[in-house]
Amino acid sequence: MSKPPSSRGAGARERLQHWLPKLVLSPSFVLVLFFVYGFILWTSYISFSDSGMLPDYTWAGTRQWSRLWSSWTWGIALHNIWVFGLLYIVSCTLLGLLLAILLDQRIRAEGTLRTIYLYPMALSFIVTGTAWQWFLNPGLGLERTMHSLGWESFSFNWLIDANMAIYTVVIAAVWQATGFIMAMFLAGLRGIDGEMIKAAQIDGAPTWKIYLRIVIPQLRPVFLSAIVVLAHLAIKSFDLIVAMTGGGPGNATAVPATFMYSYAFSRNEMGIAAASAVFMLAVIAALIIPYLYSELREPRS
Amino acid sequence: MSFLHIHNIHKRFGETHVLKGIDIAIEKGDFLVLVGPSGCGKSTLLNMIAGLDDISEGELRLDGERINDLHPSRRDIAMVFQSYALYPSMTVAGNIGFGLEMRKVPKAERRAAVQRAAELLQIENLLDRKPGQLSGGQRQRVAMGRALVREPQLFLFDEPLSNLDAKLRVDMRTEIKQLHQRLGTTIVYVTHDQIEAMTLATRIAVMRGGELQQLGTPQAVYDDPNNLFVAGFMGSPSMNLVTARIERLGGELVARLTAGSDEVVLPVVRDRAALEAWCDREVIVGLRPEAITDPSSANRQDGVIHEAELAVDLVEPTGADLYVVTQLGGRSINARMRPGSTLEPGQRARFAFDVSRMVAFEPDSEHRIRNPETVAPSEPAVVTSIS
Ligand SMILES: Nc1ncnc2c1ncn2[C@@H]1O[C@H](COP(=O)(O)OP(=O)(O)OP(=O)(O)O)[C@@H](O)[C@H]1O
Ligand SMILES: [Mg+2]
Repeated sequence: MSKPPSSRGAGARERLQHWLPKLVLSPSFVLVLFFVYGFILWTSYISFSDSGMLPDYTWAGTRQWSRLWSSWTWGIALHNIWVFGLLYIVSCTLLGLLLAILLDQRIRAEGTLRTIYLYPMALSFIVTGTAWQWFLNPGLGLERTMHSLGWESFSFNWLIDANMAIYTVVIAAVWQATGFIMAMFLAGLRGIDGEMIKAAQIDGAPTWKIYLRIVIPQLRPVFLSAIVVLAHLAIKSFDLIVAMTGGGPGNATAVPATFMYSYAFSRNEMGIAAASAVFMLAVIAALIIPYLYSELREPRS
Repeated sequence: MSFLHIHNIHKRFGETHVLKGIDIAIEKGDFLVLVGPSGCGKSTLLNMIAGLDDISEGELRLDGERINDLHPSRRDIAMVFQSYALYPSMTVAGNIGFGLEMRKVPKAERRAAVQRAAELLQIENLLDRKPGQLSGGQRQRVAMGRALVREPQLFLFDEPLSNLDAKLRVDMRTEIKQLHQRLGTTIVYVTHDQIEAMTLATRIAVMRGGELQQLGTPQAVYDDPNNLFVAGFMGSPSMNLVTARIERLGGELVARLTAGSDEVVLPVVRDRAALEAWCDREVIVGLRPEAITDPSSANRQDGVIHEAELAVDLVEPTGADLYVVTQLGGRSINARMRPGSTLEPGQRARFAFDVSRMVAFEPDSEHRIRNPETVAPSEPAVVTSIS
């Protein structure tokens, strides 16, 4: 850059303009560096240490890691997050797409319906979890209502059934996120050239084929975004499970996040907890980094 | 019975009355071009022919059959869109063949048809590409291929060339015209472009505000406009439209026009009977720039030439022609002169007016003042041709 000849005062102002943004941003930069990346490093170190209830910096090699992988509960947690994540992602995507397609038929109450579907996303996981816990609690919610309405034989006790409890969490989570995914798909559908649909109609394609062959293939970037958003929500689903089942009954709905929490704060096994946390971070990074990389690399779709 | 018959078609979107009774009939092999200002309902009419918009009122017949309520895919019509509307996830071959695939044409037959269409449009080497990898002109060809491959009875084009650059547009225009001549298909074509309309059409329909202003051959619309709007809309540079006073001068009917501080008196030869009634009243007369020339390039064989001396205001060479601007009837008007003329602004020069081409309009209603024997060609069946 060529600087115009200037007096000393102007030079100072220019220097100030150069440094001011850096000065203003530096406190938050330092804070993030310390509290996010610093603690990532710290946690990683802890996972290779002898820590129990309190941090202990004695190097223990991979002992905590092998204890983690031989833990029965960790196996359940991994299995649960796999079942939960898969069902959650698939159901939200399919339901969201279906709702978006239905809403895209230029129906009259579209604005209202869109808001209704989007509302659950405004609730926190805690509120969602608590509400669904009440709703599905056999003594309080749906089952009791049915009984009081006279349907005595009605029974829905998945919440307290160790084999089924994880599915109640799936239901609650799907209920919460579907509207958001629908909004993403709706935006994608609105971006599709109307003339293309007309062309397909003239070409003689029935509506379902227009969607299948022409519209949905064009929504590929939306699918990708939806799956990435849902995948990281699934891994973050800690609060939903805490509010709804607390990981129970027993360990039936434990997921890595609740596992980590209970090992760190109630079982005094900070080393194992740290190892599980580092593992979760690695999985999320493996999901997100390629996505961000591809998104930031080429701004064109 | 005409091939495509648009009979008293109306279109309403809720309260807005977009098309107000359009009557157009064309024969098999005709190339109908719809022109008109933006928002006059050209696309709406085209969409209704295609079946993409339903018809509020009126009747649509194709080859004698009423097709008002037929689904777009059953009308035997193909359409080329302004945005080309190619399917981005399919290859060029997939795009062209999609219509046949939906009609359950066997694969081998389909491939042969796609190949034929691709050869016709010279895009065989592109068949495996995706639309995203094509240039604008190539996309345009693929879009035409998709329409051609089904060999429909009627082609609809909605401003197919408007997204191309000027050079390519001229090339594609020529190609569309050749294609039409070779295949002899019936085409309805929407455009904004005057030249496109004039060069391609066998019939032009000029529309304004949802109403048909004139339907006729390009020459008829150009030389014999129905009203002031058509006269001003068609042609570029547009027709000179100026106020004149019709008078009787020594037994002759004349149009008196102011020309700066002077006056020009032009004899009335065209539509004289009708203009008799306008004696001693003001009308608007129209003269195309090419009907006002230098005396040496005036067409004395076919025309009736009247010369006058006027001041040159401005000289605009275009290469092929020289447009000279002068004052007439209180307005700046364009005259088309021989390119070599050595005229300078401020100088006085002789202008030759071909009064046989002069048309006149009522100043209030803006209707053409025409002799009764040449009936206005607004009825679909009657098309006057002057040339
Ligand atoms: N779905 C619709 N609802 C209400 N009004 C509409 C609708 N579609 C078109 N119109 C109106 O109908 C009129 C004609 O539209 P149309 O698209 O046919 O114009 P056009 O002649 O093709 O214009 P252009 O040259 O800009 O393409 C416009 O005034 C437009 O606002
Ligand atoms: Mg249009």
